[in-house]
Amino acid sequence: MTALDERNSALTPRTRPARPGNSQRPHGSLLLFLFPAVALVGILLILPFLFTVYRSFFRDNGFSRSWVGLENYTTLLTDDIFLRSVLNTGMWTAGTLLLPVLLGLLIAVGTNSVRWGPMARFAIVLPYALSGSVTALLWNFMLQTDGATNAMLDSLGLSTLERSWLLEWPMNTIVMIIATTWQATGASMILFLVGLQAIPAETIEAGRVDGAGGFRLFRSIVLPQLRPISVVVIGISLVNSLKTFDIVWLLTRGGPGTESETLALTMYRQTFTLSRYGYGAAVAVILTVIVLLASWTYLRRQLRTN
Amino acid sequence: MARRVRDVLLIGTALLWLIPTYLVVVNASTAADDYAGPSWWPGSWGFFDNLSTAFETADIGQAMSNSLLYSTGAALIAVGVAALASFAVVIMPVKRPAVWFWAIYTGTLLPLQVFLSPLFNGYADTSLYDTQYGMVLIYAAIAVPFAFFVIRNYMTTAPREMMEAAQLDGASWIAMFVRIHLPLARGALLAAFLFQFLATWNDLLFGITLSTSPNVRPLMAALAELNGQYAGLGPPVILAAGLVASAPTVALFLGFQRFFVNALKLTP
Repeated sequence: MTALDERNSALTPRTRPARPGNSQRPHGSLLLFLFPAVALVGILLILPFLFTVYRSFFRDNGFSRSWVGLENYTTLLTDDIFLRSVLNTGMWTAGTLLLPVLLGLLIAVGTNSVRWGPMARFAIVLPYALSGSVTALLWNFMLQTDGATNAMLDSLGLSTLERSWLLEWPMNTIVMIIATTWQATGASMILFLVGLQAIPAETIEAGRVDGAGGFRLFRSIVLPQLRPISVVVIGISLVNSLKTFDIVWLLTRGGPGTESETLALTMYRQTFTLSRYGYGAAVAVILTVIVLLASWTYLRRQLRTN
Repeated sequence: MARRVRDVLLIGTALLWLIPTYLVVVNASTAADDYAGPSWWPGSWGFFDNLSTAFETADIGQAMSNSLLYSTGAALIAVGVAALASFAVVIMPVKRPAVWFWAIYTGTLLPLQVFLSPLFNGYADTSLYDTQYGMVLIYAAIAVPFAFFVIRNYMTTAPREMMEAAQLDGASWIAMFVRIHLPLARGALLAAFLFQFLATWNDLLFGITLSTSPNVRPLMAALAELNGQYAGLGPPVILAAGLVASAPTVALFLGFQRFFVNALKLTP
């Protein structure tokens, strides 16, 4: 996959083009070219990041600060609210890998070569143009107890299936994952489609000549060819699901109570609602470690097997 | 037979996908006073009244113009700054380009939550909190690493002969950058701009953390406040606001789909 190859090439020295005729010394202008980017990222992102790590070792209510070492972290391990938040984040990750990725693949394969394919794909891709917040707004209307889903079930004579969708765990997390699936499937579908269209027609033809068809053709010819793009799709979904915030914030605020909180929400509530800056920082650090570990292990394994 | 089943399943899925959008459009058009629970068919027509209620209650108009300013400003700054840095890392004889690459690129690997509370404190201390400058600044900073990634990749893959042939004898680095490399990379610049424009437009987290007054608050934060009055205002008002807030992103997305496909493939 190009994105990964190119990322790798960042690490290998490259040959350079001929330099301008009188080969100016680059030092002065180098500063001019690199400084704005390094300054913006360094001051507004890297410094705050380092400060968050530092702060996670303190008890800090915004007014006074005292060193507590690893206490915030050890407290987290026995904090039921935090453990529920980890569980919810795990559900988000599993759900997002299962639903939008798998559905995107199936729809891309199914509509790739049919006449009405573009129309069906338009329906799927449209929600992807909406923001997480707007998706939440729309699904709030769908999922309220007096909302559209229950009204729909009622009109279909299925009133026994009606629920208070957002008020019971784990149902609220599951329906929010479905709402995200509605929004995000379009993205993975587009990417799989790009991958499909890059498969040479001769490869498929050769498979057919050898007598493969239908599911076998898909499993032994198409799927292996989609591997590089799958790395990208799964990587994006994995990282995004770990950072889930907007939709939960707007649909349940992590509630009822704190039952549907994800790590991103736990960090936000601890920090800005409860002013427990040190504790919130520890949650943020754990989230960061999980995100970095997930992308690193995953990408490393994929790159090695490729 | 198997093909028939597949077609039915796929068309069924596509129709199912359209139901929420359809219901939202129908119910956003119903006059708020006539709303008596979600309905399948349009009753009365009150879309624009709903919209004006939303605009008055949560200052959506102001929020939209704020978001337009932030998205345009931050994406422009980020693309410019990222193009400069990409040129330095790819074209200029920098020592250890990989170190510089990671120094800038790391910003996009970290989850946004890890920046929030120090930024909040820092903004409060430097009176950037709840100002338009402050918002443009943070959105630009957040956008730099990914824009840099896109533009740098493009510069490394652009045909080398073309660049070498175009190099002017004795031209300064700045002249080379402005006259040759910027025009060559315009596809990547546009892709990065669009991507960052949308990312900023869609942001909720920094909006609710670093701003509070209606004059500064970006659109998604205003929508969040509006959503908090769901019961009082009624769904038609909220939904109408949601539809209008999405119009620019839907238009951009559909107009430039190809660019997003390319940018998506590069997402970390």
